[in-house]
Amino acid sequence: MSTILTLGGLVLAAVTVLYIMKLRKRRIQVPFSPLWKQVLTEKKQSSDFWKRLRRLFSWFVHVLLACLLAFALADPHFETEVVQGRHILLLVDSSASMASTDVSGGVDRLDIAKQKAREILDTIGPEDRVMLVEFNNQLRPLSPFVAEASVLEQPLRDISVVATGTSYSEALRFAADSLRDKERGELILISDGSGLKAESIEGFDLGDGVTLRHLKVGEASGNLAVTAFNVRRYLANKLDYELFVRVTSSFDRPVNAEIEIYADGRLVDTKPIQLDANDAYQRFYPSQAVSGERLEARVRLKTTDARDVFPLDDRAYALLPPTRKTTVMVVTEGNLYLEGPLLLNPNLDVTRVTLENYSPEKAASFDVTIFDRVAPKPPATGGLLYFGPPAGEFTPWETTKQVPDPIITRTKKSHPLMRWISLADVNIGVADQWKLRGGDTVVASSALGLPLLVARQEEDRKVVGVAFDVRNSDLPLRVAFPVFLLNAIDFFSLDDPSLVETNQTGKTWSVPMKTESARVDVTYPDGSTASVPVYDGRAVVYGEQTGFYRIASPEVTKTVAANLADNQESKIAPEELNLDKVEIKRDTSALIFDRHDLWIWALLAVLLMLMIEWWTYNRRLTV
Amino acid sequence: MAAEEQFDDAFLKKLEYLYIISKKIASGAIRAKRKTKIVGSGLEFADYREYSPGDDLRNIDWRVFARTEKLFLKLFEEEEDLYIYFLVDTSPSMFLGDPNKWEYAKRLIASLSYIGLANLDRVSIIPFSSKLDGRLPPSRGRAQIFKIFDFLREMEPGDTTSLGEAFRTFVTQNKRRGMAVVVSDFYDPSGFEEGLNYLRYHKFEPLVVQLYDQRELNPNFRGDLQLVDCETGSIADVTVTSAMMKEYVAAFEKFSEGLEEYCTKRQILYFRTPIQLEFDELVLTIFRAGGFLK
Repeated sequence: MSTILTLGGLVLAAVTVLYIMKLRKRRIQVPFSPLWKQVLTEKKQSSDFWKRLRRLFSWFVHVLLACLLAFALADPHFETEVVQGRHILLLVDSSASMASTDVSGGVDRLDIAKQKAREILDTIGPEDRVMLVEFNNQLRPLSPFVAEASVLEQPLRDISVVATGTSYSEALRFAADSLRDKERGELILISDGSGLKAESIEGFDLGDGVTLRHLKVGEASGNLAVTAFNVRRYLANKLDYELFVRVTSSFDRPVNAEIEIYADGRLVDTKPIQLDANDAYQRFYPSQAVSGERLEARVRLKTTDARDVFPLDDRAYALLPPTRKTTVMVVTEGNLYLEGPLLLNPNLDVTRVTLENYSPEKAASFDVTIFDRVAPKPPATGGLLYFGPPAGEFTPWETTKQVPDPIITRTKKSHPLMRWISLADVNIGVADQWKLRGGDTVVASSALGLPLLVARQEEDRKVVGVAFDVRNSDLPLRVAFPVFLLNAIDFFSLDDPSLVETNQTGKTWSVPMKTESARVDVTYPDGSTASVPVYDGRAVVYGEQTGFYRIASPEVTKTVAANLADNQESKIAPEELNLDKVEIKRDTSALIFDRHDLWIWALLAVLLMLMIEWWTYNRRLTV
Repeated sequence: MAAEEQFDDAFLKKLEYLYIISKKIASGAIRAKRKTKIVGSGLEFADYREYSPGDDLRNIDWRVFARTEKLFLKLFEEEEDLYIYFLVDTSPSMFLGDPNKWEYAKRLIASLSYIGLANLDRVSIIPFSSKLDGRLPPSRGRAQIFKIFDFLREMEPGDTTSLGEAFRTFVTQNKRRGMAVVVSDFYDPSGFEEGLNYLRYHKFEPLVVQLYDQRELNPNFRGDLQLVDCETGSIADVTVTSAMMKEYVAAFEKFSEGLEEYCTKRQILYFRTPIQLEFDELVLTIFRAGGFLK
């Protein structure tokens, strides 16, 4: 307060000094003042017409000044300008389709929409109130009704396209509620109208006296979109995977395109496709074998005279589950036939132990335990594969007798253990006659019904038994043997939930996270980060960008993929809003106009005339 | 310009040059120096007049008596040195501005004095304002020029201008008649006539040089001003406009023309010059007019 008083005092003193200086006349020495006095005397005596005219001019200037001031106070405007206070609600669409580049004079549809909004903001008068709302599949009011349009310029600039759909009904309902009981309401929807047909806007009541305008942006409809992209590994062979891609065309004519598959950012495959007008192309691509976990599908238009104006949905992302080696413990006193195929398989992590070194606790950490001619106490978890188990306390099957030279004649070909193999003509020296029980499935047996290969489904595990010593047969010499081993190991891990679901943008995802933390950090595809909560072991993530999201907690890090995958949003053809019983204006008549604040010019003219008057007075032209 | 610089060798050379030029201009460069028009006991016949009792009988022209039987006296021009009095204005108005009229006047007087001295005339310098502010006694001979320089250098500004007062004192103090060169701006509130009349009535031959400063007629000030008279100190509140400046110039012209008309009517040589004009040009103009050397 004291500072203000001090400053005020200084300004007052300075003004006073300047005023006194202005009053003080400059002194000039002259050699002979009688000459000047003579001039002054003559001047006093002269009172001619021109002098009177100059005074008249001075009077006229004063009258003009008064008129200009009155003019400025009246705040006049041209007839084309609306000066009464309006309540303008600007609804700006920022959904994915607004990223379409089918516009002239701007980068994309959103850019044009912003330009239109800015033009409207430029016409905001002192009595107008304006509100800015961004909407896509969600609604985001960026301001209340404000009188100063300049405060909206930055929020308007900050609006950017999000990869989500559009919810017109929600936006319009919000606008109607906001404009209710407001005088001279103007609801201005700036949108491409993409997806309007699919949305039913019923029972919409805008209220009396509210004008609804739809300023449509966008010109074309040509678009290719990857509307579905999934990938999963084969259960049997986890090095390979299969793809599912759906590409939708909204061109009105057939087009050629190419699907490019990227793995960890590297182009690994291209697949040419042809699409009819407004067609959808979908297909599985089996047996894809490339390394990498982050897959990306891009569709590229090859028809040269067509143009895909909406690039945002040309890409889709998917994740392969990480490959993990199956851990296998082999309890044997030595069996080269058995160990050979296991060691050659790179997907297996094989540990060989003798019976003396075996312990069930240790075996419990392995996915599969293979017992070769031994039957100790089995581990609590993991699959069990027995080869010729001797009778004992922990033998899964009770042996009733031994059968020489059995011949495999019956096989259950549909069983996963029998995939790609044939056991015909396998010579077996001697086999055990097992007593089966409930849950046992005979996969291979002799003509007399002697079960030679048995699969058992226990409550929480699977057990496979071979009722003979493989060394006492020619099975190890056959191609079927290593394949059978792999089949058996895959059989144990058949239930592995390895398919990673792809998420859709614009929705809230529940991502399972094995963490104790209440919050986890999310890194979005554009590199930005945020902290999101975890409820019941699931991180709650809302995504508006397509791409890969990295969710990290102190214990675990997970990656999820998100795609637009919205057929309606990919149909980018601009559409007009139509509502029952509500008249909708399509143009900006009486909305966008050049606002001329004439009072400013009047004041400037006053200032100019005051300067002229001051100058002429100072020069004694008008005295 | 400093006083020392004014009268340096270059200036002296210029004076010599002017002297030579002046001799060419003056017809008949005789050694006989100028004579006064005083009629007295000289050798050269001047006129006749009728005899009055008490006149010297030696001057009666008997030849004329023989023819006309009337007594006439022969009058001869009295031959004596010409006295040149430089009456120079030292009032404050002469010192206004830089360069000012005073500097110009000094150089002009120095030039004319040199030529006068070279012609073996007797040159005296008398500064004046409202009174006589000193006096350089009449000197003759070219060597006296340095004395004149010193005198000019040491002159100080005087009081307000009053030609009447000053010249009245002058004529009473100087009985020797001669040429009275008045160098002034003639800014005398009481008028210039009285002073010049004193000179005329006492048989001096006045030569008037009016100096003025071109900048006085075209000043760069405008607006509300207080004009202070540099001599009297009187203040006048004036709003100076361009129109007023024109009127001021007209008033000055009228004042100068009044002075010129006065001089012309009384056969007084009159010269008006701005101080922006080279002084030697003025000197030559004076010679060409024939008033200074005959």
